[in-house]
Amino acid sequence: MKTYDELSFFDNAFIADLLQEAGNKVEYWDIRATVSEGTTLDFTDQRSTEISSYEMTNCGIRAFINGGWGFSVFKDLNKDSIKSSFLKSIKLAKLTRSLLKNEFKITERDPLEKSFKINSKLPLSDVNIEEKIELVKSHEKIAAGSSKLVTNTRTIYMDGVSNYIFINSFGSKIKQKLSYLRLLNMVYSRKAGITQRSINSVGGLGGFEIVSTEKAEKISEKTAQESIKLLDAKSPIGGQFTIIADPKLAGTLIHEALGHACEADLVLSKESILKEKIGKKIALQDINVIDDPSMGQGKKLGLPYELFGSYFVDDEGIPSQKTTIIENGILKNYLHNLETSSRMNLPPNGHGRASSSSAKPQVRMGFTYIEPKDWNVEELIRDTKNGILCEDFLYGYTNPTTGNFQFKCKFSYKIENGERKELMRDVALSGMILEVLKKVSAIGDQKSFSYSDGVCGKGGQSVRVCDGRPYIRVDDITVGGLN
Amino acid sequence: MYEDIDIFELAKFAIKIAEKNYSNYKCAEVFIGKSEYLNIEVEENSVKYSEIGRNHGISIRVYRKNGSIGFAFTNILKKKVVEKIVKNAIKMMRVGTPDPDFKNLPEKLKPYPVVEGLYDRSIKNLSIEDAIEYVKDLIKTCTEDDQAISQSGDFTANSNLSYVFNSNGVEVSGEETYFNISSNMIVKDVINGEVSNGYESQMRRKLVDIDGTKTAEEALKNAKRNLHRKKIKTKKMQVILSPKGTINLILNPIASAINAETYQYKRSFLVGKRGKKIGSDLINIDDNALINGRVGSNIFDGEGFPCRNKNIIEHGQFLQSGLLHNSYTAGKENIESTGNASRRSFSSIPSIGISNLVFQPGITLKDELIQNVKEGILLNSTADSPNIATGDFSGLISQGNLIQNGEIKHALNETMFGINLLDLFENITSISKEYKIYGPYSAPYVKIDKVQIIGAQS
Repeated sequence: MKTYDELSFFDNAFIADLLQEAGNKVEYWDIRATVSEGTTLDFTDQRSTEISSYEMTNCGIRAFINGGWGFSVFKDLNKDSIKSSFLKSIKLAKLTRSLLKNEFKITERDPLEKSFKINSKLPLSDVNIEEKIELVKSHEKIAAGSSKLVTNTRTIYMDGVSNYIFINSFGSKIKQKLSYLRLLNMVYSRKAGITQRSINSVGGLGGFEIVSTEKAEKISEKTAQESIKLLDAKSPIGGQFTIIADPKLAGTLIHEALGHACEADLVLSKESILKEKIGKKIALQDINVIDDPSMGQGKKLGLPYELFGSYFVDDEGIPSQKTTIIENGILKNYLHNLETSSRMNLPPNGHGRASSSSAKPQVRMGFTYIEPKDWNVEELIRDTKNGILCEDFLYGYTNPTTGNFQFKCKFSYKIENGERKELMRDVALSGMILEVLKKVSAIGDQKSFSYSDGVCGKGGQSVRVCDGRPYIRVDDITVGGLN
Repeated sequence: MYEDIDIFELAKFAIKIAEKNYSNYKCAEVFIGKSEYLNIEVEENSVKYSEIGRNHGISIRVYRKNGSIGFAFTNILKKKVVEKIVKNAIKMMRVGTPDPDFKNLPEKLKPYPVVEGLYDRSIKNLSIEDAIEYVKDLIKTCTEDDQAISQSGDFTANSNLSYVFNSNGVEVSGEETYFNISSNMIVKDVINGEVSNGYESQMRRKLVDIDGTKTAEEALKNAKRNLHRKKIKTKKMQVILSPKGTINLILNPIASAINAETYQYKRSFLVGKRGKKIGSDLINIDDNALINGRVGSNIFDGEGFPCRNKNIIEHGQFLQSGLLHNSYTAGKENIESTGNASRRSFSSIPSIGISNLVFQPGITLKDELIQNVKEGILLNSTADSPNIATGDFSGLISQGNLIQNGEIKHALNETMFGINLLDLFENITSISKEYKIYGPYSAPYVKIDKVQIIGAQS
């Protein structure tokens, strides 16, 4: 990418110059700058509604003084604007600091001077636009042609490459060359006055090889079949039920019902129900929950690319790493950024993430999962007298303060006397964070191992995340219904 | 810093490049956006973070005679990069599929309406120090209350400039301001230690209309009302939607369902209902872009088309003309755009969005609505949304209280409810005189009969 040159002025002399400007006026600062290029293709009913390309720059500078942060965001990347924004962020930090009642320091961490690169087998720059269009067209054709019941199809292809530089006052200088791709497919079907839809996506860090994986190649066929299947699904009956959650839903459950409340910024602001729960038993003995956004997870799952929620280092220069959240039912760790780890006097664990260089890092999850145990899926269904088998999810959310969460399942099968029965749609599940982890009555085995890729929103920012792993069974969950 | 870039000249330059590279195009449009903002954040009831930022960018949309579209954008406002972007857009257009439904981009036909109060000059002199004063009101409200233990919140000031220039002769620019204040108050019951939160926000065009104290007090009231949460039993009950509940369950879904794109692709539960009755006579909803000073008001839309007022639902009847259009969806029906082309920024192709969606208030006082309920629920908010294609809703009440014998009682825990929106519209029995404005929505209290409530109490 030739635009890489745009970041070349971040040389040692310029950094030394900034260090001198900062002098002893600030306690911590960091600069993030990104130059990116990308493509979006959006097709509806086999016609292009958007074929676009972009070239963008983003830069954000943070300064910190004794508990107060200042942040300055701008788009014109040159030495002058960086320097003037640097001074602005220092002024903002000073002003913030003057009104602050909670004083704290940022603990100095080891500097990291390193370059990272996403290796793509088929780099995006080597693939021409016609090839990308052919791909989208072929998925649109498969989806539209799969049944007469299909009324409407949509396929979105997005890719992007970026060069990202991170510099901070600890002496870190991190350069990254990143590349991502995401393919989304949506199909609407209609029968007897009822419309149903299904959405699937495949995303990862890497190049055009991502679209040649089995999961990606079958995406449109799968989505179309799902939307048709839903036409015959029944509306759910509300009440209390035992549910078996498939890996995608189980991952979301852990993400929503536990993950968010483990974000240390919410703990410090008294917004998390898990405040003062470290070292306490909050789940059954059998439960181990991990967040591991480090690279290499894709390979473990047999994929030729990195997972969508993975990263080399977080947006504060801390390497991604495996963090144990729950071990044998006991809450072990919160997820931290630089600030929360400094204030709680703990090592950081690489969860300071931002949606772009123009947004501030927040505490965020990466790849959150439950460790598999020994239940075989079929065994699990046979062992359930009355319940609901829930597969995949549409969305979920949680209120970390009250602990109440909800999510919506894509497919739900009634289970009667250990047998899978009719399909239901739009099943909504609700529960309480501190109760649900104690209601887990079985955890699936390694074979059922799977994951989802998506984006998660917090404070107006969206970041890439993955959740996953085995089937789990939860007793006594509230199910919403229209009947 | 931007003064040295003449955006008007840059836009004309872009069109010229397009002509030079592909003179046979059907039409082309350049959109330029510039914005500046300032943001102060409160965490742990203390000012912790302040941010200033600026953004700018240019996009070009170009159509071939057969309707195929090309689009490209950049935030690097240099002629060299803009030239490259225009060439990219043409390249994209050439490989796109033909679209016989595309008619044309807007033409300059009509004068623009006059709408006052979209831009507040005081933003020019607004310093971080001034902005912090608004946030201090938030902090004070929390500090002075015994039950409030923490608060997060923010204040944001935004100014945007948009400029639309197309090859059909449309050329229009305008400036607007937004100010926003929000509070998420955390309260703790002194006796049993129960913690809960309450949220409130305000978005206005004018700085003087921002009231931090009122916002924080309302958040505090919501938080306290959300204490003493109990599970209830499954039952059919009356539900009163607060203005926020009305937005969640009625206005927001309607905004999606009347979007002509959603409708034309048959993804709306209102498909086939144009010109028909879809609910109670009490429902009257307009989408009005011309209310002075309101957040959703505008003179022109994202394609430079003049904005106006549109009646959507009259006495429960979904009007034949009740869809919101941009130039593409309007062209498909051979009508004129309704001026609802919306762009989140220069980087997006215009989609369709509401102006100010106004649910006309009724004649009953809000207190009377509540007093007449024997057993029911006051629903303040649900973070969930219905399935727009089917109108089915099934979700969690994130903030709600039980009403017994006309009095608001304890808050609800793990309580869900389910209803189809068309049943909900049918079962509306009264609408309050009082209403609240949140962003582009104007919403009263709405009473609904026979809602299926699913409680977790066995």
